[in-house]
Amino acid sequence: MAEKHKPAPVVDEVSDFEVLEVAVRELAIEKGLFSAEDHRRFAEFAHSIGPLPAARLVAKSWLDPEFKKLALEDGFTASKEVGIDWLNPTGFGTPSDYCDLRVLENTPSVHHVVVCTLCSCYPRPILGHSPEWYRTPNYRRRLVRWPRQVLSEFGLQIPADVEVRVEDSNQKCRFMVMPMRPEGTEDWSEDQLTEIVTRDCMLGVALPHPERKADDKRPVHKAANPVHGH
Amino acid sequence: MSRGHHAEKATGKGDPQCFVGEASPPKFKVGDRVRIRDLSDIFYTRCQVYTRGAEGEVAVVTHESPAPEDEAWDNVDAPEWFYIVRFKQKELWSEYPDVYANDTLQTEFSERWLEPV
Repeated sequence: MAEKHKPAPVVDEVSDFEVLEVAVRELAIEKGLFSAEDHRRFAEFAHSIGPLPAARLVAKSWLDPEFKKLALEDGFTASKEVGIDWLNPTGFGTPSDYCDLRVLENTPSVHHVVVCTLCSCYPRPILGHSPEWYRTPNYRRRLVRWPRQVLSEFGLQIPADVEVRVEDSNQKCRFMVMPMRPEGTEDWSEDQLTEIVTRDCMLGVALPHPERKADDKRPVHKAANPVHGH
Repeated sequence: MSRGHHAEKATGKGDPQCFVGEASPPKFKVGDRVRIRDLSDIFYTRCQVYTRGAEGEVAVVTHESPAPEDEAWDNVDAPEWFYIVRFKQKELWSEYPDVYANDTLQTEFSERWLEPV
C-alpha cells in the first residue's frame, strides 16, 4: 500500500545523457584537453548567443539591394557583415560544425518555413540556440505533412494562393527565412527594423509586425510581500 | 590519420567548403526532374523515408561532401555533389488538400539518391 503513495523525488533525476556529458567532460579535463575554466567560459558564451545577428542581416537586406543579393547568394560571406564568422563563431578557434548558410527569401507568392525532421539542424552561429518546440518530435513530424495546420497553431494563416514551401534541413546546409518587410516601416532605420525581426519570423512560423519587437516590455506583477527597499 | 582529422581539415575553410573540387562533375543541374531512389539504409542514412520513390525538381546544386552514409563511418574519400530537390506536397502525401496544390517541400540529397526521370 505504501508503494502507491510514494512521494515525488525532491530533485529531478539526472538523465543518462547528462551523466554521459559529465563523464566525458571530466575525462577531458583530467587528460588536459581543456580546463574547467575553459568549459565554464564556453558554457557562458553558449548561453549568450541569440538571433540578433540574423535579424540585422534581414534589416540590412531590406535597406540595401546589393547586400540582399549577397545574402541570398552567399550567406556565409554576408554573415561576416553582421559580425558572424562561421569559421570561428565561438572565438575558441574551431569552425561551426557546418558552414553553408542558405537564406530563403519570402515573396508575395512564396512563404518558407524551416524544420529538421531527422534531428534539429539549426543555424546556431547566427540564430542562437533553437527553441524547445523546434526540437520536439511533434513539430518535426507534423510540419512536413500538415504545414498549414501547424502554422495556424502558431497563429499564422497563409492565404491559399501563397505557396507554403517547407524546407527540411537534413544535410550540411543551414537555413533561415528572410521575411518580407512589413508595411508601416517606411523610413525606418536599420536598428528599428532589426528590432521587429524576431527569431520566429526567421524560422517562418511568424511574420514581422511594426508594433511587435523582440524586447517588448513584459507585464510586471507587484510582489505580495515586497522585500524591504524594493 | 589522427582522430581530430575532421576538425583539422575544416579549420580555416569550413565544412563542406573543405571538400571543394573532390567530387566528379555534377550529374544533375537546376530544373532537372529526378526520382528519389530507395537504397538500403541498414546502417545510417539522412534520406527521409517519406521522399523515397517521389519525383521532384532540382532547385539548388549545393556543395560537395562525403555522403552521410559514408561519413558516419569515417569514409571521406569519395565526396559527391548534393542537391536541394523541390517536391509538390501532393507528390509526397496523397491526401494533401487540392486547394493547396501549389504547396511544396524542399530537402537535400547526395547524388547517389537521385535518378533521372
